[in-house]
Amino acid sequence: MGIVPQLALVSVAIFLLTYLIPGSPAAVLLGPRATPEGIAELEERLGLDQPLVVQFVEWVGGVLRGDLGTSWFGNKPVTKVISEHLLPTISLTVGGILVAILLGMSAGIVAALRPGALLDRIVGLGTATGLAVPSFWLGVILLGYLAVQLGWFPVLSWTPPSQDVGLWLRGLVLPSIAVGIAGSAVIARHTRSAMLETLAAPYVQTLRAMGTPRRTIVARYAIKNTMVPILSVIAFQLSTLIAASFVVEQVFTIPGIGTQLINAVARKDVPVVQGITLVVAAAVIMIYLLADIGYALLNPRARPQ
Amino acid sequence: MIAAVLAPVLAPYDPLSQDLRRALEGPGGDHWLGTDYLGRDVLSRLIFGARVAIQASLQTVAIALIVGVPLGLFAAYRSGWWDRVLMRLLDVADSIPGLVLAFAIIAVLGPGLTSAMIAVSIIFAMNYMRLSRALALGEREKLYIDAARVSGLTERNVLFRQMLPNMAGPLIVQSTIYMGTALLIEAALSFLGLGLDIGAPSWGGMLSGATQWQNQQPFLPWPPGLAITLTVLAYNLLGDGLRDALAGEGSIRGIRERRQARRLSSRPAASAAEIDGPQAERIALSIRGLSVAFPTDTGIVTVVDDVSLDVRRGEMLGLVGESGSGKTMTGRAALGLVPIPGLVTAGSVRVDGQEVVGSSEAELNNLRGGSISMIFQDPLVALSPVHTIGRQLTQAIRNHDHDLNASAVQDRAVELLEMVGIAEARTRLRDYPHQFSGGMAQRVVIAIALAGQPSVLIADEPTTALDVTTQRQVLDVLADLKDRLGMAVVLITHDLGVVADACDRAAVMYAGQIIEEGTVDEIFKEPRHPYTSALLAAVPTSAGGSGRLPTIPGRVPPMDALPTGCRFAPRCLHRRDVCKMGPIELTTGSRCIREDELSLPGTTPVLRKKS
Ligand code: SF4
Repeated sequence: MGIVPQLALVSVAIFLLTYLIPGSPAAVLLGPRATPEGIAELEERLGLDQPLVVQFVEWVGGVLRGDLGTSWFGNKPVTKVISEHLLPTISLTVGGILVAILLGMSAGIVAALRPGALLDRIVGLGTATGLAVPSFWLGVILLGYLAVQLGWFPVLSWTPPSQDVGLWLRGLVLPSIAVGIAGSAVIARHTRSAMLETLAAPYVQTLRAMGTPRRTIVARYAIKNTMVPILSVIAFQLSTLIAASFVVEQVFTIPGIGTQLINAVARKDVPVVQGITLVVAAAVIMIYLLADIGYALLNPRARPQ
Repeated sequence: MIAAVLAPVLAPYDPLSQDLRRALEGPGGDHWLGTDYLGRDVLSRLIFGARVAIQASLQTVAIALIVGVPLGLFAAYRSGWWDRVLMRLLDVADSIPGLVLAFAIIAVLGPGLTSAMIAVSIIFAMNYMRLSRALALGEREKLYIDAARVSGLTERNVLFRQMLPNMAGPLIVQSTIYMGTALLIEAALSFLGLGLDIGAPSWGGMLSGATQWQNQQPFLPWPPGLAITLTVLAYNLLGDGLRDALAGEGSIRGIRERRQARRLSSRPAASAAEIDGPQAERIALSIRGLSVAFPTDTGIVTVVDDVSLDVRRGEMLGLVGESGSGKTMTGRAALGLVPIPGLVTAGSVRVDGQEVVGSSEAELNNLRGGSISMIFQDPLVALSPVHTIGRQLTQAIRNHDHDLNASAVQDRAVELLEMVGIAEARTRLRDYPHQFSGGMAQRVVIAIALAGQPSVLIADEPTTALDVTTQRQVLDVLADLKDRLGMAVVLITHDLGVVADACDRAAVMYAGQIIEEGTVDEIFKEPRHPYTSALLAAVPTSAGGSGRLPTIPGRVPPMDALPTGCRFAPRCLHRRDVCKMGPIELTTGSRCIREDELSLPGTTPVLRKKS
């Protein structure tokens, strides 16, 4: 499906969320001691008294103009809320996916080289555990021991890169590990099986039959062939990883979008929640699109002739 | 699970009872896992937390199953418009991570596990829909569904009675994974204080409390964290176990069996020395007493049994047999390429006088491509699809010519391609394998095999995947190169027509053994083994006919249940009691005990004119 209709459907779904609120959102916002007049006034101010279709058209119109509405608290534009906290979230997500790819692919490859051997079993156990460990708990443990007790990493995980690039990177190490471990386990499993399949492929036999050393086969041929199916796995992991990073932000007190989202959720700041959800969905759709492009780059058969 | 159900009995303390005087204790006598910041017993809270966790994961997955699977079946069965609508919904669900949707739902409906977990189960349901749709479409292909439709069962009956049981396996495996995911999401929500009331015992909530007091009591985060990890791990291992059980056997044969087989293997037989005479120079490939075995569940099975062959330079030997006769394995063993877990258990293979059996991987890599090369059946999968053929050709050249500079390598690559008859060789180097037709791709594969100027080429069914005209052309290329480069070629084939067409000599294999060997003329005109004769009888004699093997009654015996005595006996028309007495030796070119008494019908090898 094209991205435009997909985005359109997603935004409809996100818009309709508001209307799951039992009763009037204004009443919820003002709390139990609200007067009917107060509610009516707030509804008018928030535009909630308009018919559903009008509200939707306005919302979509706004989205198209790059306006995601205004927070119900403090009158801040939602786009501003997002843009101000984008950098920490992107840093953490990129860090996490790097951990996931590097750790996952190397573990998967190592395991596939000698199936059934000790290393393979260690990787098998490691991935099973990695899939089961909650990222935020891993964060708690890493922070408690490696940063607080041993002092190997800064206790304050977030330093803006504009202030100190070295500290920015060092602070990101632990949260990135916490965010990336689960993804690395998934990527390792898929890499292992894709690699095993590749190594059994006829073209690997051809390479062997002409005397290519195994190291060369793996490094120059097998990995590239293995990347083709792994790419979509990585894209899928990236979308789960965004959600995980929102929770891990809390552990490491990183002022990212996750913190904003969770605060907004706690106080029912619907426009902010909608805006962030839409941005996340758009990001996920873009990631899938990029994965498709990457697939075509890697795989000559998918290229237009 | 058990702990969750029995929580009230098992827990030593009331999970809510506080004892501030004993807050933040480490593990000890009274409180096995210590106490939290309000002095509540950690173990008790852990056990009660298990209830929340397991209940949440079970509910989520149950709802998702109930919603998702019927939708998927419906989409598959109805297809068309409904299918498209449901698939669009799936795309939407794909683009919102489960946890984020749970956040959104909580923002709207207020904190609480139930609504959030229902949101998560919607996402899961979408994925169940995808899975069950795919499974159902697969099942529908199968005949019995059509049969059921014909026999007048109602639609619902077909869906639920016939498809579901077959789909249960994959669905159960997926469910164990989702139970783990659901538990992790529940824990994350509780951890953030968006799930249950903070006071209620839940693992995520305990963890959240623990973080705040981690400095005073560093042990506190461990119990709930490990509880989550172990439970999810248990779910996943359950899923893995089920998957393996459903898939039947494990993918890798036992290491013990492999070791056992290795113990059987011997160093190369000394008999190889026999041919070290003056005529040895002309012999490029010499196989002596070669045996290859594979460990299986029922024991060690010998698939190549005491095979001996000599191939001279400039000679093409046809290695003929039905599939499973061991001809391919013999070819692979000549390059030391017996696939794991198989092993050469006896014998010797010499290429240009150099021993292959027992050589190190480095020595083998020198031999492979340099002295002996092999090409495989289907050219379209014999080349890496994501690399240009230039790259692969260059690799083959460099493997044996390390110090050639880039332009010399390029020139050599062009020369090789021209040698196998590929036009515009220089530009075609930049092409990918899928841009070649089958016949052209096979020429590329041959060029790659020749890059290191080997003296022996093993061609495993090189024309089987090609159409008849292309077959002929590829055979001509092979024959031409054999003459020009003075190579020894082993042509592995099941096609006697190909043998008549291209080979000088032939060896016929049956059930792992060579049963007859001779020149093509001898074998075709005066076969001395009943199997060869039967093969010839099955070949259409008219010119141009491409003879496919097996129209001989009966089947090749399984290698782990061979008859004693002559292996061909169950299918042989000339069988006598004497044939079943004991193993039959390969005497003067035939492995038949009645060789001298029988006069068997042959045929004239139909030589097709070269194009
Ligand atoms: S030994 Fe006997 S059974 Fe075997 S091929 Fe000869 S005649 Fe047939």
